[in-house]
Amino acid sequence: METSFDSDLIGEIFKRIWRRRAAERERNEVTEAPDTEVGVGTPKKSRPTLANAKALKLSSELLRLFVTEAVQRAAMIAEAEGASTIEATHLERILPQLLLDF
Amino acid sequence: MASSSSTPLHIVDQDNDEFDWEAAVREIDVACAQTTTSSTNYCANNGSNHVINGKIPTYTSSNPRIQETHKKSVPNQSNFAYFASSSRQLTLDRFIGIVPRNSNGHQREKHCNGFLKNKNNNFNSNCQINVGNSGEGQKGQAEDEEENVGFVKIDPEAAKTWIYPVNIPLRDYQLNITRTALFSNTLVALPTGLGKTLIAAVVMYNYFRWFPEGKIVFAAPSRPLVLQQIEACHNVVGIPQEWTIDLTGQTSPTRRADHWRSKRVFFVTPQVLEKDIYSGSCLVKHLVCLVVDEAHRATGNYSYCVAVRELMAVPVQLRVLALTATPGSKQQTIQHVIDNLQISRLEYRSESDPDVIPYVHDRKIELIEVAMGNDAVEINNLILEVIRPYVARLSAIGVLKNRDCQTLSPCDLLNSRDKFREAPPENLPHIKYGEVEGYFGVLITLYHIRKLLSSHGIKPAFEMLAEKLQQGSFARFMSRNEVLLKAKLLMQQSISHGAPSPKLSKLLEVLVDHFKMKDPLESRVIIFSNFRGSVRDIMNALKDIGEFVKATEFVGQTSGKALKGQSQKVQQAVLQKFRAGGYNVIVATSIGEEGLDIMEVDLVICFDANISPLRMIQRMGRTGRKHEGRVVVLACEGSELKGYMRKQANSKAIKKHMRNGGANSFQFHSSPRMIPHVFKPEVQFVELSIEQFVPRVKKVNDDDQPIQSPAYKAKLTDAENDLLSKYFSTTRENTWKPSLIAFPHFQAFPSRVHKVLHSFRTGILIDAMQCLQGLPFSTCSTAVKVEDSASPEPCSASEALVQCNGKIKETSTSGDFPIEDCIREVSLASLEPKEDLRTREDSYALGSQGSQCKNLVHSFLFSSGLISVDDLGTVQVLSVSQFPVKEVLLSKIMTTGRAAPFYHLKQNIACIDASTDVCEERVGNAKDDSMSQIRSSQDDKDCAFKLNSCNASGEKTLGEIILETPIPKPMSDGGESINNSPEDRAPMLFAAEANDDPMDVEFSPRLTNFMESGIVPESPISSSGMPEIQRDDIMVPDLVSTPMVHAQSVVKYLGQNEINVTSSLTNDISAKQMKNSTPASKFRTPTVDECRSPFIKSPDIGFSKDWQLNPGGNSHGVKQRRKFKRLRKHGDLCRVKPQDCKEQTSGPTRNFTSSSVGADDGQNHHHRGAKFISNRAKLFVEDEAEVSLEVMVSSDEEDEQEDNSYEDSFIDDRINPTAKSTQAEESGIDMMAVYRRSLLSQSPLVGVANFSEDFTPSSDVPRNERASTSGSESHLVQKPENGLESTARNSASLHFNLDRVSSDALLSRITTSPKEQKSKMENRKRKLFCKSGFLPVHNLEKEFFIGSVASGHDSMLHEQTDKIQENSKTFLDNDITENRNIFDDDQFYNAIDLDAIEEQAAKLIGFKTDYSKQNQVPIAEPVPVNPSLLGSPSFDLGI
Repeated sequence: METSFDSDLIGEIFKRIWRRRAAERERNEVTEAPDTEVGVGTPKKSRPTLANAKALKLSSELLRLFVTEAVQRAAMIAEAEGASTIEATHLERILPQLLLDF
Repeated sequence: MASSSSTPLHIVDQDNDEFDWEAAVREIDVACAQTTTSSTNYCANNGSNHVINGKIPTYTSSNPRIQETHKKSVPNQSNFAYFASSSRQLTLDRFIGIVPRNSNGHQREKHCNGFLKNKNNNFNSNCQINVGNSGEGQKGQAEDEEENVGFVKIDPEAAKTWIYPVNIPLRDYQLNITRTALFSNTLVALPTGLGKTLIAAVVMYNYFRWFPEGKIVFAAPSRPLVLQQIEACHNVVGIPQEWTIDLTGQTSPTRRADHWRSKRVFFVTPQVLEKDIYSGSCLVKHLVCLVVDEAHRATGNYSYCVAVRELMAVPVQLRVLALTATPGSKQQTIQHVIDNLQISRLEYRSESDPDVIPYVHDRKIELIEVAMGNDAVEINNLILEVIRPYVARLSAIGVLKNRDCQTLSPCDLLNSRDKFREAPPENLPHIKYGEVEGYFGVLITLYHIRKLLSSHGIKPAFEMLAEKLQQGSFARFMSRNEVLLKAKLLMQQSISHGAPSPKLSKLLEVLVDHFKMKDPLESRVIIFSNFRGSVRDIMNALKDIGEFVKATEFVGQTSGKALKGQSQKVQQAVLQKFRAGGYNVIVATSIGEEGLDIMEVDLVICFDANISPLRMIQRMGRTGRKHEGRVVVLACEGSELKGYMRKQANSKAIKKHMRNGGANSFQFHSSPRMIPHVFKPEVQFVELSIEQFVPRVKKVNDDDQPIQSPAYKAKLTDAENDLLSKYFSTTRENTWKPSLIAFPHFQAFPSRVHKVLHSFRTGILIDAMQCLQGLPFSTCSTAVKVEDSASPEPCSASEALVQCNGKIKETSTSGDFPIEDCIREVSLASLEPKEDLRTREDSYALGSQGSQCKNLVHSFLFSSGLISVDDLGTVQVLSVSQFPVKEVLLSKIMTTGRAAPFYHLKQNIACIDASTDVCEERVGNAKDDSMSQIRSSQDDKDCAFKLNSCNASGEKTLGEIILETPIPKPMSDGGESINNSPEDRAPMLFAAEANDDPMDVEFSPRLTNFMESGIVPESPISSSGMPEIQRDDIMVPDLVSTPMVHAQSVVKYLGQNEINVTSSLTNDISAKQMKNSTPASKFRTPTVDECRSPFIKSPDIGFSKDWQLNPGGNSHGVKQRRKFKRLRKHGDLCRVKPQDCKEQTSGPTRNFTSSSVGADDGQNHHHRGAKFISNRAKLFVEDEAEVSLEVMVSSDEEDEQEDNSYEDSFIDDRINPTAKSTQAEESGIDMMAVYRRSLLSQSPLVGVANFSEDFTPSSDVPRNERASTSGSESHLVQKPENGLESTARNSASLHFNLDRVSSDALLSRITTSPKEQKSKMENRKRKLFCKSGFLPVHNLEKEFFIGSVASGHDSMLHEQTDKIQENSKTFLDNDITENRNIFDDDQFYNAIDLDAIEEQAAKLIGFKTDYSKQNQVPIAEPVPVNPSLLGSPSFDLGI
């Protein structure tokens, strides 16, 4: 089996996104807080989201499949067009269907 | 772990040292060149290993206990000690001239045990050297020893000064007190608002400086106070926040342990402190300073005392600073505090002290006496009357000294009781003890009530009394005391008068006056009350007094029975809002009294005066802090006032004690100086730069996280990092985002895949894109188109073809993915009619197409080939011009639908569908489903024709779809048989309506196709569009109900095969009836519809409500759909009992059979009537065949059927606001009641009477109900005797009643022209149905109908007849259900379903028949004038 993505890397990316989401959520809550009396204090749920090792591994594999598929399909398009490198436009062509396939 | 934690610590340490150094350096010796660059020594700190190592051993040796703690606690501890010591050591080293080297302390530490003694010596010598070098010289060895015991090292440079911040204007008394507090344990008693916190902060700060590794604890009694003080202290002296932490019960013990190790300044609650001292997580040996806020609490076993006791027992050398505004109300209690906290100095200032006076704001204290009020006085007297005998008895025994019951207080009683318990009078027999105890209890309660009465008004007192009378010994003693009950009554009366207590009104007065003088936006008021009950009363009173008062309550967290507490979160929110101005009045209990720093309070109102002076001072302390304030004390004249005065006097006496530091009154404890006398710290006034206080929230965490560089960064190459920065740069505008719409043409064809195949959704996308781009389709699609075009032409499609289609459809459902199944079904349903049309047009063509489609579908499904998809899409497009999904479904259906084996698949699919139903799809599909059901029913019929045995299984397998189909089938069949032109038109209308809804849009093309193809041309009857519209409207409610019914029935069927068989049989029967095209079958359907509603109502009110709603409007439709889903699920689960289902199904079937018997085809009906399902099925098949033959004869009819089915679906979707609303309003509830009644009580004879009533347009609902009830009863009786037919008749009569009600509603509707028309149409339909049920009756009804067409009255009559039929059906259902006592929803639904099916079919047929009959037989007019007469004959005929 091919080696998959580094699950640490994936984990970091996930965390980064989760953190950003959490921050956004917090911001939203802050804006809403004045309306609610209870809004003061520290919300308990601000604990960062975590993923365990197996979930990360699985995610990595899924992402790997996704990326390979994307690259391969884009490569086919590029090949058909006679291009030697995959350009963004090649990706754009296969992207809608790719996204629907996953 | 140790290393990781140590690094940050170390860094911080450096900073502190730097600061200390700079401060010290300024003072001492500039000559030392190294001093200024202390930072450079930091790394060196680590290097001073030997000294450090030496330290640790010293600790351990001096105190084994500490050693234990060291071992137990986290490895960090030693590290910390070492670091802390290292910083100190640094200073020492500097003096000694040692240049420390960077080395690893940890390693040495491990080995240090062996070198204990040496290092110890080394350490001591170092100290001495240090002292000597520093030139401070004469440091006593004893003191040094003490320090070693305390084992916290002093920073000698820092110790040369103590810093007093001048950021805030300096106050002499604060400076003086601080100076005292620095060197001895001090109890600071300062009036509130005079800056106790500043004193504490300065002391803490200096100890923070002096003892670089010492830990400082600030204890405050509540969490809010802790949070408040941490901020306040920070704002005074700016202790770096990385050193401070607030520890409360909310922090987990493990985290607390970490914090105890890593931080230096702790703001804690005493409970936490106590616990952590016990657990050892608090490093007691490092404590140098303990600040106790609200020290007056340090009595008894409060955590303060325990903590201090523990610390003293260690022993720990530490400074205690106790802060309070009110050390105690008695000399004794103050002494206790002093003892408990080991206080050696008392610093007391009162507002009148000269050094304080300039800073005290004027605080006016007003005492307002309030009269008790007559009621209260009276009640008070009554209570006294109750009290008197008990007091007298107790006095007689000699337990109670005071004989004056007026002046007794609960407190006195408690004391007396305690005395009694300790030393009961000798002459009292033991048996009496219990009695005496009881008396005491009663008296205490009564006095408490009396106190409440005087200080809080009647209401709280009454509540207390009522509560006490509920239970306990008090109730035992008092529940029969007439005087007390009288008092209670009086209280109740005065409460019911609603007169506020005099205090409350006075309070409002004061408030209003206050806000007149002050700006309500700026001014803040706190109202204190001792009881939550009165807090609530005050809140209620404040609600009424106007806009300017924005009041909130502020109470503790505990939730009582009646009142909910506030969580601390809420409390904080309240305070914040109060500060911000969101509220300007707080009504607080005692939790608002202490410490909470609420600035800018202008007015404090004490709602009750008789409280301890301590609390009064605290209350008053809430105002007059920043500027002058006012305190209003509301005291009720009498005992409360007296108590208040007494307590004020008390507090004055206390003040005397505390003068002059309390030297005369109190015994103090010696407290050693923490700073050796060698150091004579000088005050240094420094303007501290204080960083903004950052509340410790998650943000801190956020700050931390970026610092840690993610682990992956180390693994990345530079190029990768560049890429990362390129695509994840902070400026996101630059990041490239791929476009999904850039190449639409590429989306019309499946892209080549590598390993991941295209999903179904992709197929949809491709199809959609193809449609959008109008790409040419495959030949198949063109063929379909041709077919469509041909469809409008009347074609007699062969039954076989139809059957094939049906099979295909069935199979198709099975083959598809579960999720998609729903859609597919829908699409199939929609497609099927088209297919049928096509088939009709050209059977050969159809066959070929079907095969093609199958092939295509197969390829698509299995291979997921794009080409196949394209083909499918094209086919779909051609056929329906609908969404590709539908097309796919059709194709799939075609492929799969060959044979029985597929049935199993179908079943599975159905189950899956039920489980995975997309709500939206279903909602949308509800209509579709009905359509599909109809089609499937047709298919089923076809199947039945071919294979009787297969049919049962197929039906079972088909499950929901098939089951549902029966209802639509009748509709279609009826349409076919009767050649309903109006119906055809109706679908057109429906289609138009459907178009409005997005969901409908899908169907709309089909509709349009139908319109174009068959329906419009087909509608041979030139009856005006108006009637059609009316019909449509009428149909809509019924249809809506029908889907529900269908679903239910389906569920039941699914539940068991047997059930399925029965259902199929019933379906077949219905289908047969429909096919027979006998008016009876049509009639049956309407009756069924009507019956359904009543049934539902009777069994389950909830359901009945829903049903009622259904007729009402669109919302109803939605609800029904939901139910539909639920029902399906039920069916999947097979919850419905097979027997019940069978029974139910059989019931409806019987009804059908009976009706059929009444109808033209006697033979068929009889067959149906046969109990055996199999027979029925066969019969059905036969009937169907017949029907189909008949239908087939006229292609137009077929088209009409299809149209009808479409109509049904559309109807479901549609919402006829007018008709539904009118029905709902007028008929809905009444109908329900009537139905229920009729169901419960069935009187056969009434039927005729009912008819008469019904005939009268103005007939009242109650009459109808009566009639219905009577009719129902009779029906019940008749059923067993007469058999199916009789039962049918009975039910019919019952239905009549129901119908009447509805007719009434209709009549009312009739007033409005459109509504009227609709109602008329409905009536006609119903009439027609009735006719079908009973031929003679039908004729009459038809006649009536004709008449009704002319006049609304006639229509009413017809409706009644229809209702009768319905009732009969309902009766049957009801009987079944009642007999079994199982009122499962599903059962009802089943019944309903059948009914609905029947209704629909009947309606359709009825319309057709009406038209035809009207055209044919314009007889009936006899009754427009005499509705009763008309009704009676019809009824007789029916019987």
